[in-house]
Amino acid sequence: MPGTTTGQDLELVIGKGNGGGGGTKPPAGGNGGGDDGKPGRKGQPSASKYYTGVAIGIVSILMFFMALASAFLIRKGTGEWVPVHIPGLLWVNTAILLTSSATLEMARKRLSNSDANGFRRLWQVTTVLGVLFLVGQLVAWRILAGQGIYLATNPASSFFYIFTGAHALHLLGGVCALLYVAWRNFDPAKVSRVVAAEVVSYYWHFMDALWLFLLALLYLGK
Amino acid sequence: MVTYDDGGDASPSSGSGVFSRLISTHHKTIGLQYLWLALASVLVGMVLSALLRLHATWPDRAIPFLASIETTPERFAAMRLLHGSLMVFFVLTAAPQLGFGNFLLPLQIGAAEMAFPSLNRLSFWMTAGSLVGMTASFFLSLANGINLWLASASVFSLAALFSALNFTTTTIELRTKGMTLPRMPVTVWAWFVNAILSMLIFSVLLAGCAAVLSDRLLGSNFFSTASFLAAQPQNLVRQGSLPILWQRLFWYFAQAEVYVAMLPCFGIVTHLVATFSRKPVWKERLVVLALCGVGLVGFCVWGYHMFATGMNPYAPLVFSVLASSLGIPAAFLLASWLGTLWNGRVQLNTAMLFAIGFISLFIAGGLSGMFLARHDLARAAVSEEFVIGHFHLVMGVAATFAILAALFFWFPKLFGTRLNEGLGNIHFWMTFAGVYAIFMPLHWVGLLTQSHVLGEAQRAAIASAGSSIRTFVTLATVWTVSAQTLFVINFLYSLLSRKQAEENNPWRATTLEWSIASPAPEENFGKTPPVVYRGAYEFHVDSELDFVPQHLAPELPAEKAH
Repeated sequence: MPGTTTGQDLELVIGKGNGGGGGTKPPAGGNGGGDDGKPGRKGQPSASKYYTGVAIGIVSILMFFMALASAFLIRKGTGEWVPVHIPGLLWVNTAILLTSSATLEMARKRLSNSDANGFRRLWQVTTVLGVLFLVGQLVAWRILAGQGIYLATNPASSFFYIFTGAHALHLLGGVCALLYVAWRNFDPAKVSRVVAAEVVSYYWHFMDALWLFLLALLYLGK
Repeated sequence: MVTYDDGGDASPSSGSGVFSRLISTHHKTIGLQYLWLALASVLVGMVLSALLRLHATWPDRAIPFLASIETTPERFAAMRLLHGSLMVFFVLTAAPQLGFGNFLLPLQIGAAEMAFPSLNRLSFWMTAGSLVGMTASFFLSLANGINLWLASASVFSLAALFSALNFTTTTIELRTKGMTLPRMPVTVWAWFVNAILSMLIFSVLLAGCAAVLSDRLLGSNFFSTASFLAAQPQNLVRQGSLPILWQRLFWYFAQAEVYVAMLPCFGIVTHLVATFSRKPVWKERLVVLALCGVGLVGFCVWGYHMFATGMNPYAPLVFSVLASSLGIPAAFLLASWLGTLWNGRVQLNTAMLFAIGFISLFIAGGLSGMFLARHDLARAAVSEEFVIGHFHLVMGVAATFAILAALFFWFPKLFGTRLNEGLGNIHFWMTFAGVYAIFMPLHWVGLLTQSHVLGEAQRAAIASAGSSIRTFVTLATVWTVSAQTLFVINFLYSLLSRKQAEENNPWRATTLEWSIASPAPEENFGKTPPVVYRGAYEFHVDSELDFVPQHLAPELPAEKAH
């Protein structure tokens, strides 16, 4: 908006931010959130494009899962459907993911109180919980595989694996973003860590809510 | 990804080498890259279409190139797919939105860059990769070819999603001071609406591609082949399953692609018609609403294809209503173009000719579309050739005309010189006559050969008439394709014989990109971003002034508008 800097500056900093990122959708925007020296509207660093970017990315990801969900609901009615019994471990994983959202918020609160150490610790806890969730999902797959239920077994199992797999992939992007925010040295004159953390938190909570939706779909829709 | 590299392309034009241009994150460089990609694709795709027609007309003759690879119907279908993929993905989708959009969107809203330049570069290279993949899939065996094609389509979807994210965020966040939504040029509106549409449908397409690919490679059961084929019309199934899957999948995507390809063209044509009629866009607000309407309908029609194919008896009716309701925004657009032309001081240069050609093709193609939107009629009385005639006219050729119009119009801003008007005129008329000579007869053939009401004897009589029409169509195809050499000559000649500096605003246009030098300088607007004071189409506002540029402050309008 007003106060756009020159092309070179913009390219320079964004290029670096994205280049370091994992290459997943909203994290890429979030990563870019690392720095950008523009004084934006209302005199704050112009971080608003990262908020917009992550919001639009979320809508897009939502459409991806909605397409699969509608295919799931339609496919369910076409026969040869053997429901997958959801491993109990998934409930534990869900609890882990919900906890991670809570610790993320606590970390952000520390950050806004400029308690850098507290932030770092809680942020690390969040990251570990995220990784733990991913490992838990892998173990759940192993359990199913142990029962002889594979991707190709029947339509229901195909959908189970693609929902959990696609979600895990997106969450992996979220973990990368968490690491990025933790490791990157933000220039305080540019976009702050506070903003980067907030942008990533949107994505993380969205992943959380998406997981609840998918779980409900898999549990109730079987 | 060293910072220095990215900073280095701040001045690639001053000889910092091909490589730094290739990895540039600069929006104008990327826009041009998309345009070069589209140019290469359109030339190959066009030659393919001529080969296809030639082979269909004289199947016994050995045609060089075709003779070596064309041994089975599958190869022929694969060739059609290659033609379609190149044209739809890398010309119709890439050129108006990604090519011109990347180059011009930041310029027209007064921004220095896209919102996420590195993401933009990633999109381009993924698109280029998917072009390589789709082309390579043609040379593989059928099964591997389909897999590679699907993978390439997934990559393309992902790239389109990243681009759409970029376009949307840029339009929302990076508009310069004074560039309120009502003051945005219609082109920007079209790119914006199209980006939102792409955002929604390409996620769905990505999900679909991923699921089908997983079915094929990992044996999953999302759309198992048996139930998929059972849902298809019988006349398609009997010819054997594989080419059908191949074709049907392609049209799955193509339905939504129609709107993605057309939306930016609507914007471009509206923009050009106003500029060269020296009049404001007639009912500009309604035009913007109509663009949103096209986006909405495009999304809903897509939803029909995704969710309902062969599953719900009411779905064809829903689709029919939706497809027909596209007529409403289309009629608004048409009314606005004609209203703008009405009493305008029309300048018939090549860019304007192509824009008017677009309108003509859009009307002609749209009329036959009304037949097809009726689901019962379409199946009963109309064969494939009618459909081919329809969508080529309204989507393929019309969009190509819009692309050419845009190229003639923005060429000074892209390359700092104008295309030759004389050659351009001849090229336009030859092409215009050629495309009508191809696609109108195809409509007739389509109607004739499929008339179930006729008896056997009458059909035999029609068949011979049909074959001579087909020959005519083939000759017209060869004519039209040859006419494009004029364009290539014009293009190369204009580029190579670039003389002194082009004036900033050769068309006396109002939007921001014309306020800076031609070709557009690397830093766009320099240190001070422009300020916008007025709407995008202030032409001939009173008898004294021909036009008032958007960046002109209200106090001194008379001074600058020469």
